[in-house]
Amino acid sequence: MLRVSTRTVYETGTTQLSSLQAQIARTQQQLSTNRRILSPSDDPIASARALEVTQSQSINTQYATNRQNARTSLSQVELALQGTTSLIQDVQTLAVNAGNGSLTQADRESIATELEGRLQDLLGLANTSDGAGSYLFSGFKSTTQPFTLTATGAQYHGDQGQRELQVGSSRKVPISDSGSSVFESNPTGNGYFETAPNAGNAARGGSGIISSGTVADATLLTGHNYAINFAVANGSTTYTVTDTTTGLPVTAAPVAFQEGQQITFDGLAFDIKGQPADGDQFTIAPSQRQSVFTTLTNLLGALRTPATGAAGVAQLTNSLKSASDNLNNSLDNVLSVRASIGSRLKEMDYLDSTGDDLNIQYASTLSQLQDLDTVAAISEFSQQQFTLEAAQKSFKTLTGLSLFNFIG
Amino acid sequence: MAASILSIGKSGLYAAQLGLATTGHNIANANVPGYSRQLVIQSSAPAQDLGFGFLGSGTEVAQIQRYSDEFLNAQVRTAQASKSSLDSFEAQISQVDDLMSDTASGLSPALQDFFKGVQDVASNPASSASRQALLSTADSLAARFQAMNGRLQEVRDGVNTEITTSVTLINSYAGQIADLNDKIAGFSDRLNSSPNDLLDQRDQLVAELNKLVKATVVAGDKNSVTVSIGKGYPLVVGKKAFELAATRSPTDLTRVEIGYQTSDRITVLAEDALSGGQLGGLLQFRSETLDRVQNSLGRIAIGLAYQFNAQHRLGQDNNGELGGEFFKQADAYVGASINNSTASTAAISAVVADPNALSQSDYSLNFDGTNYVLTRQSDKHQTIITTPQSGPQRVDGIDITVAGAAVTGDAFVIRPTIQGASQFAVTLSDRNKIAAAAPITTSAPLSNTGSGTIDAGAVNSAYVGNQLAAPITLSFDAATNSFSGFPPAATIVVTNSAGTSTTYPAGTAQVPFTAGAKVSFAGIDIKLDGQPENGDSFTIAPNAAGVGDNRNMRLLGDLQTKNVLDNGSATFQGAYAEMTSYVGNKTREVQVNAKAAASLYEQASNSQQSVSGVNLDEEAANLLRYQQAYQAAGKVMQIASTLFDALLSIGAR
Repeated sequence: MLRVSTRTVYETGTTQLSSLQAQIARTQQQLSTNRRILSPSDDPIASARALEVTQSQSINTQYATNRQNARTSLSQVELALQGTTSLIQDVQTLAVNAGNGSLTQADRESIATELEGRLQDLLGLANTSDGAGSYLFSGFKSTTQPFTLTATGAQYHGDQGQRELQVGSSRKVPISDSGSSVFESNPTGNGYFETAPNAGNAARGGSGIISSGTVADATLLTGHNYAINFAVANGSTTYTVTDTTTGLPVTAAPVAFQEGQQITFDGLAFDIKGQPADGDQFTIAPSQRQSVFTTLTNLLGALRTPATGAAGVAQLTNSLKSASDNLNNSLDNVLSVRASIGSRLKEMDYLDSTGDDLNIQYASTLSQLQDLDTVAAISEFSQQQFTLEAAQKSFKTLTGLSLFNFIG
Repeated sequence: MAASILSIGKSGLYAAQLGLATTGHNIANANVPGYSRQLVIQSSAPAQDLGFGFLGSGTEVAQIQRYSDEFLNAQVRTAQASKSSLDSFEAQISQVDDLMSDTASGLSPALQDFFKGVQDVASNPASSASRQALLSTADSLAARFQAMNGRLQEVRDGVNTEITTSVTLINSYAGQIADLNDKIAGFSDRLNSSPNDLLDQRDQLVAELNKLVKATVVAGDKNSVTVSIGKGYPLVVGKKAFELAATRSPTDLTRVEIGYQTSDRITVLAEDALSGGQLGGLLQFRSETLDRVQNSLGRIAIGLAYQFNAQHRLGQDNNGELGGEFFKQADAYVGASINNSTASTAAISAVVADPNALSQSDYSLNFDGTNYVLTRQSDKHQTIITTPQSGPQRVDGIDITVAGAAVTGDAFVIRPTIQGASQFAVTLSDRNKIAAAAPITTSAPLSNTGSGTIDAGAVNSAYVGNQLAAPITLSFDAATNSFSGFPPAATIVVTNSAGTSTTYPAGTAQVPFTAGAKVSFAGIDIKLDGQPENGDSFTIAPNAAGVGDNRNMRLLGDLQTKNVLDNGSATFQGAYAEMTSYVGNKTREVQVNAKAAASLYEQASNSQQSVSGVNLDEEAANLLRYQQAYQAAGKVMQIASTLFDALLSIGAR
């Protein structure tokens, strides 16, 4: 039989009581903080995992903030481009009106005055700022005013930079478009080539009006410049076509001109109406990029040039046709930028919903890792309380037992 | 005859008195730590030969026995040493564990806020408010690093103080044990009687010493004991006590170590020499956990400072200049031993060159006469630093340079990351100097007719010191399908989408075009794609007035999720999580071991107490026993007296 010393009874008793008390205090602390893990040693793996999930969650939240920022920027750009769209449409209407044959020069002057106002409006739209002093359309040079008017259109002072934001773990979206890509990169003519009369045609009295033309066979396109030279002799009008890039004639011999008949060569097709004069020339050049400001300025110039006689009307008609083509192209370009912004905004909505899903997932993972099972903890607490009370009671009884109580 | 009975009674009376006194001594000392119960051992007195038989002559006290079992005592000491060691380890490590416990006060929220600040500037690069906010979050991050490190430093200071106090106590115990050895030796010639209470006192002193540092006891001559500590270092031999001293480490004056004090010199003991006991636990905590944790934290700080600075230098600030240093990156600590030969002129320098390869360990560097041997403390892996050096030798991401002439036995310590967190600071203070933009822009003129495109471009570390002064225009020649216009001094590397690169030497006039290939030259990387037409050109220019450019800020933001530590296996947060997990696991391990040690100690102590401890019920029974013996002996004497009276009354008749 093992002897038990009196000291052992007391020491063991107090050690056990204090350990029970420590346990119940811990459960109480868990309950009062609603945390399962009070320090990393409680569950080292879950603690480390929780830190990683916290970062993922924080980054996910940051992406949501970035999307909000991106959405704000894109909406501002979209608003400005919405204005630009209706402005170009207005100008198109004006250009059509200006072509009305019954208008006098004074009428056209008044249209020109209105157009001047539109030009200023367009400048204002192109120089829109975000309210915090940053211009929307100046690329990276956000504090530089992107456009200033010049005699021939407008000068672009920004750069071609496109700002991007990280809106998802593997997705960056552009949140700006440079003024150069929105207002300046509009193809001229029909998008493939541009037809134009020689500036001297009107003075020679020629009333030829050249159409914008179409591509008859894309495989035959050369991208060269051409000149169509007219000659009027003995009442018959003939023309020759020369490839001015190579200097070689396209037509072997002068061709008899028939008004309105389609002229086709090297995959190009167009017609010329009216009566070209002797020596008149029309040129065909590959499409270039033209600023919408230049288009408007050119249109203004055309409206302000007095159109007298058949030759003058033909010159105006040619100019209006070219302006109308270019305006169409500008509108197409603005609309395509808007479409791209729309799809970016839509993508952001999609990313938002996946981001929200992820957030819920992270929150639930974190909760599983860190949070307390309250029911289990309360039950454990009651059990520990019961044990502690039993230990206290039995300790009191045990230490009260002594032979000295019975002797003497 | 009656006289004999009287003397027998007297001997019984005397023995019972001694029994009562000893029982009283037991009761009185029941709560004295280290007291061993005593018992009077009686034996019968020599008998008288009366011819027809032997007549007893009463009792005598043979000895006062002390109940103590050296085997059990040794078991208790072993259990006690390991329990104290683990208890003190646990007390220390729980401070570190608590430091990591609060999700609101750890490094993680500050780190996340900082990168939020970076993202905010990426969203609004031109906004002064966002830029200022980034500087503020950077300051809080630095403050958090400092605060965490400060707390670890406090723990370290606490360890130093406790080591010093423990050494003082150990010396005091050693002196007292030596004194007792001397006193006890004085009684060693006595047979059958030992100075019980002195032995108890000595055992108790050894037990107290053993709580501080594991003590091993070997019995010596003349009842003395030889006490050795730790891994067998003698502390008390007979009446001689050796003196320990707390001293500064020869290679690091902020580190308290323990050594033997001999007349004028202190011989420092290795950190693992003194295992077991409170001191052993402290030393083990310091070298296994505290150093590791402080190094881990320092490594995160150094990695962050290095990577962030490297990317920041590739950006362009609001003044149009390349970014400068954003954070201060801590220096590696190099300490030369104060015991190095005075003839030594060796100078060691260590610079963190690749934080990705850094370990979390300290290193010692020793000169063995021919070579410098670098030992990684965590796994004792050795690397020879070859001399003479043509340049720094890189080991675990540290560039080590040795200069001068060393003398055999010279010792150095290199602690690459220990100061990482304490020296981490924000050096950039002007918000306009935050390099949010990339230093180059690219553009394609409107006159281009082809579908060729150029991407926004990026710069790499070769760009620093090689900045573009004027725009470069690359022109496409359709006949040769190549670009010209590259800077004449630049080597051009074209890497196609399959990853195959072709190098064109500097001065190559026509560089063949491959759609989608990355073209690198003079620190600039661009990607040309699509199909350009003859005469099309692309321009790469310095980024003038690009205050709305956020490209570099986005790259800085990407660092948050890049694996740039631990050989490309951990992000900053990941490394912090690893550190938390290490502390948590270690704490848990220590807690479990401490619990096991406590129950082992309890068992050993109960066994020992079952031999040596006083049981008051038993003593109460003994009181009754000796009281009855006393009363019975008295009765014997009374009867002897009555007999004598009877004799006397016969004579009176």
